[in-house]
Amino acid sequence: MISRRLRYELAGRAVGPLLAALRRRRGTSRLAARDDGPFGPPLESTRRLKELMGIYYYQGRFADGAVPVAWVTSGFPVEILRAHGFYCVYPENHAALCAARRLGPQLSEVAEAAGYSRDLCAYARMDIGSVLSGDTPVGRIPKPDLVAACSNICQTVVYWFRAVADHLGVPFVLVDTPFVYGDFQPHGLAFVAEQLEELAQTAARIARRPAREVDIERVVELAWRASQEWGACLEEGRHRPSPWTAFDHFIHMAPIVALRGTQGCLDYYRELHAELSERVRGGIGGVVPERHRLLWDNIAIWYRLRDLSRLFADDGFAFVCATYSSAWAQSWDGFDPAHRVHSTAAMLSGVLLNRDLANRLALMKGLVRDFSVDGVVLHSDRSCKPYSVGQYDLKDALQRELGVRVVVLEADHADSRAYSAEQIETRAHAFMESF
Amino acid sequence: MASGAVVLGVDVGSTSWKGVAVDSAGRIVARRVEATDPRIEAQTERLVAELRAISGAGHDAPLGATGYGRKRVPAATRILTEITCHARGAYHLTGRPGVLIDFGGQDTKVIRIGDGGEVSDFRMNDKCAAGTGRFLEVILARLGVGLDQAPELVARAAGEVAISSTCTVFAESEVISLVAQGEPLPAIVLGLHRALSGRVATLAGRLVDDAELFMSGGVALNRAMADALAAAVGRPITVLPEPQLVGALGAAVSVLDAG
Amino acid sequence: MNRLQVIHAHRSRGHKVLAVLPIHYPKEILTAFDILAVELWGPPGPPRGPDAGRIQSSVCAIVRNALAFISAGGVDAVDGLLFPHTCDSIQGLATVVRDFGSWSGPVFQFIHARGEDRPSARRFVEAELKSLAAELATFTGRSLDGERLRDAIRIHRNIDRLRATLLDQRSRLAMTDPELYRLLRQGEFLWPADHLAELEAAAAGLAPAPVQQGLPLLVSGIVPEPMSVLDALAGAGAWIAADDYAAVGRRVTRHHPTSLDDPFATLVDLYFAAPPCPTRQSNQTARADRLEQLLDASGALGALLHTVKFCEPELFDLPVLRRRLLERGVPVLQLETELERELSGQAVTRIEAFVEMLGAIAARGAR
Repeated sequence: MISRRLRYELAGRAVGPLLAALRRRRGTSRLAARDDGPFGPPLESTRRLKELMGIYYYQGRFADGAVPVAWVTSGFPVEILRAHGFYCVYPENHAALCAARRLGPQLSEVAEAAGYSRDLCAYARMDIGSVLSGDTPVGRIPKPDLVAACSNICQTVVYWFRAVADHLGVPFVLVDTPFVYGDFQPHGLAFVAEQLEELAQTAARIARRPAREVDIERVVELAWRASQEWGACLEEGRHRPSPWTAFDHFIHMAPIVALRGTQGCLDYYRELHAELSERVRGGIGGVVPERHRLLWDNIAIWYRLRDLSRLFADDGFAFVCATYSSAWAQSWDGFDPAHRVHSTAAMLSGVLLNRDLANRLALMKGLVRDFSVDGVVLHSDRSCKPYSVGQYDLKDALQRELGVRVVVLEADHADSRAYSAEQIETRAHAFMESF
Repeated sequence: MASGAVVLGVDVGSTSWKGVAVDSAGRIVARRVEATDPRIEAQTERLVAELRAISGAGHDAPLGATGYGRKRVPAATRILTEITCHARGAYHLTGRPGVLIDFGGQDTKVIRIGDGGEVSDFRMNDKCAAGTGRFLEVILARLGVGLDQAPELVARAAGEVAISSTCTVFAESEVISLVAQGEPLPAIVLGLHRALSGRVATLAGRLVDDAELFMSGGVALNRAMADALAAAVGRPITVLPEPQLVGALGAAVSVLDAG
Repeated sequence: MNRLQVIHAHRSRGHKVLAVLPIHYPKEILTAFDILAVELWGPPGPPRGPDAGRIQSSVCAIVRNALAFISAGGVDAVDGLLFPHTCDSIQGLATVVRDFGSWSGPVFQFIHARGEDRPSARRFVEAELKSLAAELATFTGRSLDGERLRDAIRIHRNIDRLRATLLDQRSRLAMTDPELYRLLRQGEFLWPADHLAELEAAAAGLAPAPVQQGLPLLVSGIVPEPMSVLDALAGAGAWIAADDYAAVGRRVTRHHPTSLDDPFATLVDLYFAAPPCPTRQSNQTARADRLEQLLDASGALGALLHTVKFCEPELFDLPVLRRRLLERGVPVLQLETELERELSGQAVTRIEAFVEMLGAIAARGAR
């Protein structure tokens, strides 16, 4: 046990970083070769991003038996677990990676063979397929001591994570955030706050020691600051030209999802922010030339990021903001560390997908206004109900109330079999031609 | 004129009408296959009359009916679903348990047949064309290729072009793009066979286990499809003789069983 | 009487009517305010009207049809809408209706507590019940009478007692499945006292010994739609011996409180004593255990898992349920429907083939 712990720490603090440094020196850590094309120079920070995430996944190989391990949802109050020394795995992040590496269909087929319908959330199918087959592109994912979900991003994660916990024979913990129609309900927030206390007890039991309040506060502070820094990075998109695009956001959001609450995460976004500010000062844009500015709604289409980015950028269309990336900063607005538990309950409950469409529409209108957006692309995601139901109404409202052009692209966040390149290209071109 | 026919069996499918006359040992002595006419009752009456005539089966020779139109065969003495009849027909031909993959024009069935020829489990793909013979038919037609030309084309394929779309309509667009991009036709046709057989293999899933595999249905006449399916499930598959008549045969034999 | 007639009769007595979306909601509170609940399951068939395409076709038909129906004025006869927080799709439906002008009247919601039965969840449910009660007090213009709430609890306990009797003693009822389910589903819109009377009449017809012939089945799913599923089963020679439909069997709570001193506390107890359902707070093990209990009690020879296409809560549970059933050696047929008006020929064939298969197994067993 002690030696495993030592190996784990070495992996994270020494071996991992060393391997990353060697890769950098050997030049194998080349930035994705973006040919001359319509893009500005690639972000330097991407190198550090790859190192950070590489070390994270590498360290994960040594986590079993060394530290308590939890599999968590992206909206989960991970800070409490981190303060108890947990290594946290993000099945959504892993599934996005699988999708990007074109492993989606084969993993989904494993889940489908086990009886999971193809109509279910693609992340869930890929994750369950990975669990059942043991296949993963990241070497090895540590087995969990705890599977934990928060219902603030959807109810689907509750069924999904419960199924995974059942399959792996480990406890399942849920922080249930009652959906917010209109205003927050005091009894809803109180329920979440109580569950945070329950979570701390569960974490302490599994970690075999309680975390000190000061440790929790420290992790929360780091998470809060990192979210603010991430938000500041996104805000740079207001400038003309925007120094980066929403497709860049989707790549660079990995740490705010998977490493939130760590020092490395905060440091990373500071570095990224500095680079973005510098690009703004130099007038360096993500898309060159930037003719039109767009907003992306819904999850990224992980297996077609490069193609789609190129498709729009070729005609000078730059995605300068996205509801998906904004979500990771916006919910922390108004966070008050002096009332940690209650403020965390509000933060969790205030996540974009936990609130009604009126709230989402207001957010989108704000983004259109603040980021000088000319057009909106709504990704109608076949297997993500909470994000997709209501998009036709959002389209009508945006067109009617703001006069922006809106197009709906039908696809799926992770299942490439639901993507028809011909249809997407036709719609996208027709949309761009209408400007 | 054939003799000894005692029982008739008809499989009134949505794509094709199949009928057989069998003797007391269940051997086929006459057969009829025709594309299904929307006026099913009239077609059935005519073809049953023809079968009775050419086989010498009497006017009151009992008739088992199965298939989509089984309830619209007034002369039927026994009506059973095509699942039960295909299992019965396969067992009659092989005498062994196993798993039958019936590859129809509009639906695909995987049937586990037990030691006594009974159905012990089954799965059907009947909602989506992409896992049925229709998938191949529609897209090959679009390419100007006849189903009978498929085996020869597939044999010539130097490589394979993977078809990724799971929907027939999407796949059609995809194939047209591939042709426009200059991909060779044999490779595309092989890809189509692989895609379809992959889907059927997925439908079969663990139902197949270590059972002996058989294939029936009109699509089984396409040798390339049988090979692709065997490759997809990773085991040899025996194509039953006169594969598209297995259901009708099973219907007839079921009447014999009932005595 | 049909739904519209019942609605008009109730309103003519000076009371209010709420259209309620599926599935589980605190009916006792509505009854205590003399509010008639009329459940909205469909209507069946493809969504109609100008808003038929307003929600993507990859969302379940229950939600798509409901929105099309509401937008086309189908619920204009009622005074308000109630949305239980059943799943992501109903969640979306509720906010579309509230925020994008399909309905200009009052809209209420009832949020379920997910996860295990624990003190924090019980406190939340109690607060949520009281919150809904407060809103309904404003809606009806009268305060909640404690005694009326106790009466409402009593009447719904009696309804559940009778439903349980009819379902558990199904073999002794001479009714066909189509007849029985039509009766049980009247509870989706009848005033409770009227529904109770019909249930009592049916229970009076229980024979002293089993009268049902044919193959006994267990059915699990969301709702028996299209109702022709029941006709197909009956036609094939099978009957439903054990019911785990969310709209039917999973609503029948067999807990009967001894004291009604604190009616809200009683409602919380009833909430957590309800049969497991993923649209509330169950776990898969609890569901699988319940299916086994139903199998043991009913002697069912096969299981029909009747899912609605795109229904996530149900579809995630399926693999565990199938595994448990197969471990018990119970053959399973999965049937996926979309609220179509009539079952397709292929679906009927599947049901018939399944019953043929079970019949052959039973015959071999008997030999």
